[in-house]
Amino acid sequence: MSSDVIIKARHLAKAYRLYDSPSDWLKQQVAGSIKTYYRSFWALKDITFQVKRGESLGIIGRNGCGKSTLLQIVCGMTRPTKGEIWVKGRVAPVLALGATFDLEATGRENVLIGGAVLGLKRPEVIEKFDSIADFAGIGDFMEQPIKRYSTGMRARLAFAICAHMNAEILIVDEALSVGDLAFQKKCVDWIDNFRRTGTLLFVSHSTADLSRLCDHAIWIDNGHVREAGDVANVVRGYKKATLVEQDSMSRFSAV
Amino acid sequence: MHYVDGKQVIPGHYNRFQLFIRFLLEPFTGAWHHRDLIVAILRRELRERFSGSVAGWVWAVVAPVISLVTYTLVFGGAAKLPDGKPASSPIDYALFVFGGLIAFNFFTEMAYRAPSLLHEYAHYLKQTMFPAEMLPVISTLRATTYASIGLTLMLLCQLIFSGTLHWTVLLLPLWFIPFLAFLLGITWLLSAMGAFTRDTAYLMMTIAPVLMFATPVFFSHEALSPDVKLLMYGNILTGFIEIIRDIVVFGKLPDGLVVAWTVFLSALTFWTGYWFFRRQQGGITDVI
Repeated sequence: MSSDVIIKARHLAKAYRLYDSPSDWLKQQVAGSIKTYYRSFWALKDITFQVKRGESLGIIGRNGCGKSTLLQIVCGMTRPTKGEIWVKGRVAPVLALGATFDLEATGRENVLIGGAVLGLKRPEVIEKFDSIADFAGIGDFMEQPIKRYSTGMRARLAFAICAHMNAEILIVDEALSVGDLAFQKKCVDWIDNFRRTGTLLFVSHSTADLSRLCDHAIWIDNGHVREAGDVANVVRGYKKATLVEQDSMSRFSAV
Repeated sequence: MHYVDGKQVIPGHYNRFQLFIRFLLEPFTGAWHHRDLIVAILRRELRERFSGSVAGWVWAVVAPVISLVTYTLVFGGAAKLPDGKPASSPIDYALFVFGGLIAFNFFTEMAYRAPSLLHEYAHYLKQTMFPAEMLPVISTLRATTYASIGLTLMLLCQLIFSGTLHWTVLLLPLWFIPFLAFLLGITWLLSAMGAFTRDTAYLMMTIAPVLMFATPVFFSHEALSPDVKLLMYGNILTGFIEIIRDIVVFGKLPDGLVVAWTVFLSALTFWTGYWFFRRQQGGITDVI
């Protein structure tokens, strides 16, 4: 394996086990591998891609196509059912860090907790605190409980924490869309800067952002990679398909 | 990070024995690796418990004081301890009961909370790379804080009423180690089960009160017939309560056999619980 490959996914597939009732889960535990009491829902069916150090990979696809599941696998939050995933280096997911904020605690306290959740040592967080506060740009709100924050302010703080964890792989999932234009620009500039040294996985429905930030892209459709390669080509194919294909409910049928 | 077909690939080659040792050490290396995270979440949990209340931490002290006073008033006059030994001070019986209660309440606090523990932290588990196996560690440490308040009170009381403490009190930290190991094992087990089915919570709410009567909290198992007494040791809490009474209330060294049996059961619970949790962990984020 060449040394500059940092993420490698080969024939990844992920099945969620759907139990019709909780008692089926219990039966399954007792039965072991003798009998199955669940239905499998394959969120990902066959995903193969690789990312080299310093590359930026965009991921597009319609709602429910498996993007989030894929990101969860890359982060190690959930395990693939089949196939191989290999990730080297520290991953920083800007998925929804804001969702883990403790509403009663102040921004400052949440920075300490958030930093710890992302794997930073306490002295490191304390050392970077001023820089984080500066990046978030929410002023005195840093000392206020998070419950008084607006959605945009939460996103600012969340992004600021992630931006300071010296990750080798940054995963950005629609996190930018809530901030105002000035903050979005700040984030995009920061990501541009990050790309010089780090690897980026970027998920967005905004094809403009995708073209701007990524070199390559994969288009996921129904758990498969439908198209992969240069970002311009993938985006073009995706846009064309959106014009033709209807937004039908049948896409969401489970099993 | 490397997964192939749902199984983690550990770099390097290990034989079965090395893998086994690695597994035995895993809870400790994991906790050490995540120590900053554990402390950060623990701080938050401790602060959160009484946030929004005016008296705050006073509650954590008042509750055990009230119960200690109640036991003294109710049982204070008893001249004989339940095992037939004469009481040396009026508060002896109260301390006797209180010692048992601290251990039992510590256990029930964990047993009640464990089944919903992973649900409480669902947003962490689903959206960050949170080490789920450390949540039981955090919640056990949290409960330890409250148990320590009770224990301190108990020692204070003894010091005030009898004017002295037994030297065996120094063995208390050694009592804590297997007890925490046992509670951790139970919490791993119950929280993993609780992630999949809510019945675990109802089950614990049903059996914990019953368990209280199968545990020598208000009575002494010494007074029971030998057969029943032996049976009582099947309940691991019996051993722990006997040991804490021996070293705090009676000031004597606990029975070696009881200690060995209790330590064995705790170690078994600890690693069984951890093993079960790790086995289920792959499915946990998918169901909560």
